[in-house]
Amino acid sequence: MAPALRWGLGALALAALLAVPFVVTQPYPRHVFISIFLYATLAQAWNLLAGYCGQISLGHAVFFGTGAYTSSVLGKELGLTPWAGMVAGVALAVALSQLIGYPVFRLRGHYLAIATIAVGEIVQTLMLNWDWVGAARGFFVPIKRPDSFVNFQFHQSKQTYYYIALGLLLLALGVARRIERSRTGFYFRAIREDQDAAASLGIPVAAYKQRAMAWSAGLTAMGGTFYAQYILFIDPESVFPLSLSILICLVAVLGGVGTLWGPLVGAAILVPLSEGTRIYFGGTGKAIDLLIFGALIMLISVVQPGGIMALAQRGRRRTG
Amino acid sequence: MTLEVLLQGLIGGLLMGFVYALIAAGLSLIFGLMEIVNFAHGEFLMLAMFATFWAWALAGLDPLLSLPLTAALLFLLGIAVYHGLIRWILGAPMLAQIFATFGLAVFLRSAAQALWGVDFRLVKDPLVSGRISLGGLFIGLPQLVASVGALAAFAFLYWLIRKTETGRALQATAQDRQAAALMGIDTQWMFALGWGIGAACVGVAGGLLTIFFYVFPDVGASFALLAYVAVALGGFGNVPGTLAAGVVVGVVEVMSGLLIAPTLKYVTVFLIYLAVVLWRPQGLFGRF
Amino acid sequence: MATRVTALVLALLAVIAPAAFAQTPKEVVIGVLYPLSGNAAQVGIDSANAVRLAVDIINAKHDLNLPLARGEGLPGLGGAKIRVIFVDHQGKPDVGQAEAERLITQEKVHAVFGAYFSGVTQTVAQVAERYGVPHLNAESSSPLLTERGLKWFFRTSPHDGHFSQAMFDYIRDLEKRRNVKFKTVGIMHEATQFGSDSAKVQEELAAKYGYEVTVKISYRDKATNLDAEVGKLKAANPDILLPSSYTNDAILFVKTAKNLDYNPRLLIAQNAGWTDPTFVKEMGKDVEGHITRAPFALDMAAKKPMIRQVNEMFKKLKDNSTGRDISDAPARAFTGFLTLADAINRAKSVSPEEIRKALVATNIPADQLIMPWTGVKFDEKGQNTGVRAILQQVQNGAYATIYPFELAAADPTFPLTPWKDRK
Repeated sequence: MAPALRWGLGALALAALLAVPFVVTQPYPRHVFISIFLYATLAQAWNLLAGYCGQISLGHAVFFGTGAYTSSVLGKELGLTPWAGMVAGVALAVALSQLIGYPVFRLRGHYLAIATIAVGEIVQTLMLNWDWVGAARGFFVPIKRPDSFVNFQFHQSKQTYYYIALGLLLLALGVARRIERSRTGFYFRAIREDQDAAASLGIPVAAYKQRAMAWSAGLTAMGGTFYAQYILFIDPESVFPLSLSILICLVAVLGGVGTLWGPLVGAAILVPLSEGTRIYFGGTGKAIDLLIFGALIMLISVVQPGGIMALAQRGRRRTG
Repeated sequence: MTLEVLLQGLIGGLLMGFVYALIAAGLSLIFGLMEIVNFAHGEFLMLAMFATFWAWALAGLDPLLSLPLTAALLFLLGIAVYHGLIRWILGAPMLAQIFATFGLAVFLRSAAQALWGVDFRLVKDPLVSGRISLGGLFIGLPQLVASVGALAAFAFLYWLIRKTETGRALQATAQDRQAAALMGIDTQWMFALGWGIGAACVGVAGGLLTIFFYVFPDVGASFALLAYVAVALGGFGNVPGTLAAGVVVGVVEVMSGLLIAPTLKYVTVFLIYLAVVLWRPQGLFGRF
Repeated sequence: MATRVTALVLALLAVIAPAAFAQTPKEVVIGVLYPLSGNAAQVGIDSANAVRLAVDIINAKHDLNLPLARGEGLPGLGGAKIRVIFVDHQGKPDVGQAEAERLITQEKVHAVFGAYFSGVTQTVAQVAERYGVPHLNAESSSPLLTERGLKWFFRTSPHDGHFSQAMFDYIRDLEKRRNVKFKTVGIMHEATQFGSDSAKVQEELAAKYGYEVTVKISYRDKATNLDAEVGKLKAANPDILLPSSYTNDAILFVKTAKNLDYNPRLLIAQNAGWTDPTFVKEMGKDVEGHITRAPFALDMAAKKPMIRQVNEMFKKLKDNSTGRDISDAPARAFTGFLTLADAINRAKSVSPEEIRKALVATNIPADQLIMPWTGVKFDEKGQNTGVRAILQQVQNGAYATIYPFELAAADPTFPLTPWKDRK
């Protein structure tokens, strides 16, 4: 596809997304969009580490929760605006990620994955017992009226939340794209393909893994702060669970891990699917919605393991 | 904290550890063969427990008596899952494989809820009940029987893998798939068999657990997590290693709960796991 | 003359006609949110069934002394019937928020009801507050819910503060009655919102009344093994044990306590697992003597036969496939839903503000409730002041109300029989 055409289509898509809140005025559909953007952002952040650099983390909720709690606690204790709290959350998440990465990146493959699960569980358990931030009781973000950008709370409509979420997604996409085309991205891919060969070529493998981890953790934490300000209630069960870590990975894998657009595609499919099955089948208590969800995930993984983007690539190569 | 309480904890941890080890063994076997982590392992356990429960509720079969039946059922389930799902994702990237078995887990869990509801089921008045007392220390008979059963299953598994023709074929396939194929071993059948035996292990564990543990659709989740840790600790693919690892997990769980704080039980287990794999990245006994 | 009369009649008609053609809705729609999948699904399903029963009682004629039972539908709204939309929030606060919003903006419900878990109830309440839609909660126990200054939130149920207060009242009354002195308290709770909330209140009350908390155990729920927890309890050996656990962990705890020969003298549970109908049935003699706080008691049917009638109807519900008895949480759901319907009926309108005003004016007398309360009357925070927490004890395989002593059906037994003496 000619670059000019691609840019044109991109601009058109962006314009469409920007216009959505004017066409879609009901709060629930807007919520679906916001969910898609949020999950796409988280999946894209995860993709930086796992897709581009090949380090599979199944404990990414740690960074999400860190972002959520940091901005919320600072907001309540110091009256800090959640935007500053978000920066603090990012800083803390990055620091934490380096601390975790230092020992954990000595492992590979399944050992690494299980180690990240272990770290995730450790953090969640500690948070469940940390009284100062509410432990298992959770943390209520103090409600501030009227709507204010500084306070990052909008009660009248979801419109501003929509744009902020979209902004986060564009940021994540931007970071991914820049990394993809830079030398850093090249090194990431080298490490992913063959870590030992990369090392023998003089690439400082550990340092670059840490760098991927840092970018990944930071973006994830931003999503956490957004979530806290959107739902206004957080507890370890909702922001630190293993199920969230797995869900983030599922979104990316469905769309196409290691690709730029995979996470967004994955989110655009998974979120409406999950909402739809819950609404149409969830009221019976028979978990029919989850039944269908599980079956679909299995089907998709069998039919196209490379994700949706792989399907698209395959089509393109044939005509290429 | 008296010595008595500590010894009591040690015994409890040991007994539970054998059960954890059996659950982990199946997982380890499957991974050793084809490098796939079965994220639906907890659900296999849950199905085994339900099978045992229904055999008791509908036919009055005590869990101990229905054990062979449960093991056979799970064996068939393992083979079915292999042929229905796993076979198609053998060459897929690790993530898609995780994806597939995770989807299976969600599916099985929801199916159980749809079919049997969410109520907690308990087998009442099993053949084995009560406790025995050894010098002031108590050992629950169901727990004792479960751990002895687990050990027996383990021994059988070990014999199967090391001393039989089939077992050696399995080992060969695990070591070098292509070489094994060249030697005339049907790798497809080996994979299916691996899943079958792995599931049967979990079937035995589930049957034994049902003597004293409650059954409900989500029951597999907590056990599965510990099983993953035990497998990684023992070394992926090393079945005897999981025995040691399972015991370590069981003992650390209880002792850290007693000596540090119950809320940090699993934290300690995971920290020990991290410490071990950082010192020996391939686990206690694993090959890389 | 004729023209003047005609003009008058026409004028009257002109005034009345719009009102008559105006919204007397054929039905009132209420959104009900419960956890219908996941760990607490059984309670969610039971509560949803209780709501179904309440809807049947309202919509059809029943000869029961319950609000709106004797007629068909809501007489204040011309016989309009109630229709419920059930949603599963899966135990997640963000799903609760999305569903509440969807119910209000897309399904256009006139009120929301639910949601059991305090965390989810919180997010639902926030949504209701934002849109100005009445939200009635019948069972969430976190005291904070009515401390947030919400205008549209109403809770019929007692909360942890009430329950734990009743526990300590009982402890002190028992001390006087039996001439014993308790010194130490042990708290065991699961690391969830429910357990944590409960433990916090219990700790505060213990300190207030001068009891020393010698052991406080928090454990991850859905435990595979409670040996360490029971071991620690055994080592600390507090006079009184206050557990807060759901059914699965409660079962495991009792079995482990039996195995390890842990014998607390007094055990008072924070309902949940202990009030699950399956619990006493399954555990049988092993839980003889256990006490739990309960907002509802089946044995009160001796004084209020209506309770037995309602229970029979509940057991026969189509969706209650295993014929479970109505228990604590569903009984509260039942009562809460009738309260909401009663308010809508008195409002004679589905306008949110009218319903809200009617809720504020609620005054349901004790004899119209299956709960042992003095009535339903909300204070300025939206909390029902007529609540009464009662304590029940397992005696001869079934729960008997033992406290407050005036309502008691049986004398409390004390202390708990040690394992070796249990037959």
